[in-house]
Amino acid sequence: MKHSDSLFTALRCSLLLCTAVLALGSTVARAQTDVELQAIEKDLNDVGTRITRLQDLTDVEIVQDAYGYYVDKAQWRSLAGLFADDATLEIGGKGVFTGKDRVFEYMQTGLGPIGPRKGGLIDHQQFQCLPTIHDDGVTAEARCIAFVMSSGGWGHNYYEDDFVKENGVWKFKKLHGPFNMYSSYKEGWIDHVIVNTFPEKFKPWPDLPPTVIYLTYPSYYAEPFHYVNPVTGKPAPTPSPRAGGEAFGR
Amino acid sequence: MKNSLHGFSVSFGILCLALAGSVAAQSDAARVAALKTRVAAMAKETTQVEDITKIQRIGRSFGYYTDKGFFGEAADLFADGATFQWGNDGIYKGKARIKELLTRQGGGSMKEVAGLPFGRLNLRMQLQPVVTVADDGKTAHARWREWDLLGQYQKEISWGDAIMEDDYVKDSGVWKIAARRYYQNFVSPYGDGGWARLKPVNNGQLSKVGQEFPADGKAEPYPMFPAPYIPPYHYAKGKPTAIQSDAPVTPPKRADDKIGKLEALADAKALALARAHSVRAIENLQAMYGYYIDKGQWAQASQLFSKDGSYEFGQSGVYISPDHVEKALRLMGPKDLEAGQLNNFVMVQPIIHISDDNRTAKARWRSDVLLSRAGKGRWGGGVYENEYVNDNGTWKFSKLHYYVTFWGDYDEGWQAKPFPMDPPSKETPPDQPPTLVYESFPTTQVVPFHYANPVTQEPHKGE
Repeated sequence: MKHSDSLFTALRCSLLLCTAVLALGSTVARAQTDVELQAIEKDLNDVGTRITRLQDLTDVEIVQDAYGYYVDKAQWRSLAGLFADDATLEIGGKGVFTGKDRVFEYMQTGLGPIGPRKGGLIDHQQFQCLPTIHDDGVTAEARCIAFVMSSGGWGHNYYEDDFVKENGVWKFKKLHGPFNMYSSYKEGWIDHVIVNTFPEKFKPWPDLPPTVIYLTYPSYYAEPFHYVNPVTGKPAPTPSPRAGGEAFGR
Repeated sequence: MKNSLHGFSVSFGILCLALAGSVAAQSDAARVAALKTRVAAMAKETTQVEDITKIQRIGRSFGYYTDKGFFGEAADLFADGATFQWGNDGIYKGKARIKELLTRQGGGSMKEVAGLPFGRLNLRMQLQPVVTVADDGKTAHARWREWDLLGQYQKEISWGDAIMEDDYVKDSGVWKIAARRYYQNFVSPYGDGGWARLKPVNNGQLSKVGQEFPADGKAEPYPMFPAPYIPPYHYAKGKPTAIQSDAPVTPPKRADDKIGKLEALADAKALALARAHSVRAIENLQAMYGYYIDKGQWAQASQLFSKDGSYEFGQSGVYISPDHVEKALRLMGPKDLEAGQLNNFVMVQPIIHISDDNRTAKARWRSDVLLSRAGKGRWGGGVYENEYVNDNGTWKFSKLHYYVTFWGDYDEGWQAKPFPMDPPSKETPPDQPPTLVYESFPTTQVVPFHYANPVTQEPHKGE
């Protein structure tokens, strides 16, 4: 009995001790773990931001590429839906159209009625898209190519576009599409090429004049690059006037 | 006895302390350590996916620079001592020599900082990359397609076609081109039948620039179009990692404690990363398929399909399983093609959506088609709506469906002389009839979209 009492007391003591030490130990461990967990959470969120940027690159290219598929079939309502409410559009030398409604009007009045037309081909193929997501994570730019195979023949133009992320959705903020070369199919670009458009060439009239006046092939014009050289980190030089030079009016 | 009992109870107490303490602390410590390892691995994989996009950026920049005569900028994309093999002309070494090579090939002037003379067209479109980053993250390879619109106003104009195989190196955190092998296939006149009526050339024949501006070293000669030739692939051996991403996982239920919350956060970020990685794997897969189709490599192309994967082209019906896909592809011509046959399917304009669980994907692509057989050239254009499956980390086609927009004669053009689509083959009949009956140009057909409007999220109702 006595022995067992004493055993019981000893056990109880050691259990109490055990609990006390455990509690102390786990408090220390918990504090240590909390610091570690905060560091891990930070690392995870940093990686998370980089992952979001990767998805942003894809999403911006999707807006640009979707634009091309809509032009193919004159789906102007769907196309205008890709623009932010206060977005602008400037194609060739036609001047600037401001706002989503005017984007729609430019397309429908300037390029033809809604929907594909039998016997009419206007494939606006989007090539070589080079998007840049800015550090703020809500603005972006992209340089892309439209290589056009249409009933009229060939077309090649660049885009230097701006995008904005509103409520988590990337949209066009500015579509700027300077022409490079337009030609017929029969002759190709050897002669009688179609030079740039201009504000009064066709209706509707623009809201603002062209931001830049330039000549297309066979003359030379290089649309400025929104990005620096990915290897040197430096901007591209200004082309020599002797080799075509700068655009007029810049 | 008492002592021994006390001794027992004390040692029991210590044992209990040690056991209980270590079980609780170690399991938490182990979970934290596992999380740390996992976040580090995620950071490494994120870098790998970023590297793919950075290499794409270098390749596309090259095109934009050469287009407009920024030859110094283009040469600056190369590492010091880099090499550039231009067709059969040989190997040029170092940035200065590469700059002069590009300037001469592009019709520019070494005296000017940038630009092109009046009337010069030098559009060199850089398309269809397959990018493979090495496991150590220090080297990478890529295959690219170049499609050119070249010429001098009122003098002569031409098409250019080339495949490039590049080596890249990461130097102080910056990717650069270490070596480019530019396998020019042809530069053909625009008129006179285009590429279809090119005459055979002797192996190793130098271009005009190659004669006037000799290379620094010899390159292995290879045959140019109209001879069939397959430029070597950097991913020919073993399982290509370019089409791999993470295997699908079902996120486990996490404990309702601080660590569990972080584990769940890591699960969510890992899934987002896997999906971002999968986008690039699918780009690579579609590009890889295109390169095999280009060269009549029907077996290699069909192996990119899942075991019940399907293939449907125009109005030719549906073929199911890799074996049947291969038979269907063979309808395009003999294995590795015949002399004078061009079968370029340019893969461009991707709209890729990965499923929320990273198990499947859908993508819309465009293909321009440049063909020739027996001296006649042909244009084609169309849209893919494809589906893909993540087979334990390797992406495969579960459905490939090409909707023909138009076929057109080279000499007359698609507007003056469009061709209808081929009906299903009698010799190699499909497993199923076409899923959608339609006519190609001059009839127009909106190819159904797998996605809603990416901005408004409204479904496409037909316009």
